Amino acid sequence: MTDPTDSTDPTTATDSSDTRGIDDGSDGQPRDPTLHRPDGGTVLERDSEAELDRGPFQQWVANSISNPERAYRAMFYVAAIFFLFTTLFPFYWLLMVALTPEGQLQDIVFTPNGFNPGAFVEVFQVIPFHVYMFNSFVIALGSTILVLIIASLAGYAFGRLEFPGRTPLMLLVLIISFFPPAAFFIPLNDLFNTHFAILRPITGDGTIYNTPFALVTPLSAIFMPLAIFILTTFYSQIPDGLEDAARVEGTTRLGALFRVIIPLSAPGVATAGVLTFIAVYNEFFFSFLMTDGQPENWAPILDGILAYQGQYQVLYNLMAAASIIGVIPVAILVVIAQEKIVSGLTAGALKE
Amino acid sequence: MARVRLEHITKRYDDVTAVDDVSMEIEDGEFVTFVGPSGCGKSTTMEAVAGLTRPTEGKVYIGDDDVTDLAPKDRGVAMVFQNIALFPHMDVYENISFGLRLRKYDDEEVRRRVEQAADIVQLEGMLDRMPDEMSGGQRQRVAIARAIVRDPDVFLMDEPLANLDAKLRVHMRTELQRLHKELETTIIYVTHDQAEAMTMSNRIAVLNEGKLQQIDPPLTCYNEPANRFVAGFIGSPSMNFVEGELVDDGVRTKNFAVEFDPAQVPATSVGDEITLGVRPEDVHLADYADSLTRPTRSIDATTDVLEPMGDEVFVYILLDETVDGTMESKETMENQLLMSVSPDTDIEADERVDVVLDGSKIHLFDSTTGEALVHGIGDLAERGPGTTVTEAE
Repeated sequence: MTDPTDSTDPTTATDSSDTRGIDDGSDGQPRDPTLHRPDGGTVLERDSEAELDRGPFQQWVANSISNPERAYRAMFYVAAIFFLFTTLFPFYWLLMVALTPEGQLQDIVFTPNGFNPGAFVEVFQVIPFHVYMFNSFVIALGSTILVLIIASLAGYAFGRLEFPGRTPLMLLVLIISFFPPAAFFIPLNDLFNTHFAILRPITGDGTIYNTPFALVTPLSAIFMPLAIFILTTFYSQIPDGLEDAARVEGTTRLGALFRVIIPLSAPGVATAGVLTFIAVYNEFFFSFLMTDGQPENWAPILDGILAYQGQYQVLYNLMAAASIIGVIPVAILVVIAQEKIVSGLTAGALKE
Repeated sequence: MARVRLEHITKRYDDVTAVDDVSMEIEDGEFVTFVGPSGCGKSTTMEAVAGLTRPTEGKVYIGDDDVTDLAPKDRGVAMVFQNIALFPHMDVYENISFGLRLRKYDDEEVRRRVEQAADIVQLEGMLDRMPDEMSGGQRQRVAIARAIVRDPDVFLMDEPLANLDAKLRVHMRTELQRLHKELETTIIYVTHDQAEAMTMSNRIAVLNEGKLQQIDPPLTCYNEPANRFVAGFIGSPSMNFVEGELVDDGVRTKNFAVEFDPAQVPATSVGDEITLGVRPEDVHLADYADSLTRPTRSIDATTDVLEPMGDEVFVYILLDETVDGTMESKETMENQLLMSVSPDTDIEADERVDVVLDGSKIHLFDSTTGEALVHGIGDLAERGPGTTVTEAE
């Protein structure tokens, strides 16, 4: 798109070259690399000449165009730093808040106002925070075990058996996981507050409310589809011959699942387990509503953290300290299992 | 050790019939090979014996027991799989002892039997290796050891050598025969390779399209195939087939005539369409006619392509065709014959030759049903009838 009258057109520029330019020395041809545009910019004929005149940013852009790798790497660093900042800065801020003594929170900038590591001990003295943590841990572990057992059986059926309606059923399971949890709340809450005589020996008053089951049941159901999906992918990739071999050697189908298929799908089982554990441990909605918030009634960490908020006073430093303590089990779990999770999430798509 | 009896086994998947009414009886200690092309139902039949597939109809007996409804683990069978199917998360010892440990044998007994089995398949000193550290042949031995360690009544082998290279396959073939001699267990072996079937088995069961075609000793299948399919499948290279018509004095094809008394051919009458089958090694140059007991008249032909194999030469010959009273060679599949000659024969491509067929080795098949009618024909005047097929299955 060159306008013939445009003096900045590079072709015109070459034609009308005069001798006042700088000789670049490479081919002995006199050039005029700096034709002046009305706006004060310049027209450059060759990249090598350009470097003489461009600023560092323009030069970086030119290099990036000729070598896109640089741009991608830069984008990666920008994205990574942004992501790290947005995820880690809140933790940094939590730590600052936790270390700042009570009542001095007004003007912390990037350092704590004072130094009060005692908050991390105090959290356990003000309320029995360890009981809340224990509750959360039991609920998460219980849900994980329940999910892994049921999802293994479902994954076996979906992944390894041919039966009519398999695909629609699988879709149905996935669709259920798309429902907002709030849609389930009222019926479930009503159900869990109903007295069942049969439950009286176990729960005292015959309701599930204020027991771990009130959390384990709905949370297992909500996070089950993901686990089923992961395990189906894994189990379907175990060669039929191995299962047949196990069955001929002396196991039942179920025995083959537990002795051969599950051990060989360990990364998948670990992934499903860890994801479920973290999801249940971090869950807010049912955790907030399915108990009365008392530690002896299986209230999870969430209620523990909120318990530092009184009618007249909010102990922000203790809430922050409790939050950090609450993160620790999940952080440890992820560090231990990260290799399995990464291989599990990626290996699902690959077949040997 | 036990007999295996299949009674009218049928397996249908939706609208496909994988196995169609297969019945057979396998003797105690017999080595029977199921052979046939891909999809002929041989693996499905074996899975029905193993219990991995439930037949739609029919019954499976092992020994005197009806095992049709039993789980694989309760049938006393052991199996070696095509893809070897060693458990990759267990070492050799754990793999071999898997079945024993499930059956709660005590450690001492397990150790003793595993070592004995490893000894038989020559795996000493490898018991603590993982499967992925072993070669294909070694893994196959582990799979065999895993099968023999439980001392099963019946041994099932589903193309166990298919994934091995050619040299190892021939070696393992002899190993398996040696093993069969040693163990004297009933073995059912599935393969699509007719050479494996011929060399190893006491009897071959040829299957095609889910139906049992013939079950006989290898040489019977070779010399007296029950029908055209068996004749074409057993033997390599394959038998030559020429379409023809039964006439007063024998069979006339487009290219040549073979003379004999048509009364030798049962259940046919003059004018019926007949397929004549002859193996490449039973096609000879006319010079050799004197050494044959019942040579046919010489047939005019032209050699086409030569395939020297070293120990023999395969010669594709084009038969002359009578068109409007003149003889000419035309290159079509129908008038092509494969001939096998010894490598020192003086023969070249595109050369005029006279060939004869060995009449005693000619097979006649019903063109419509494919059933074998006669194996070996006598000639018109002097000689008596050949072996006629009495029962056509």
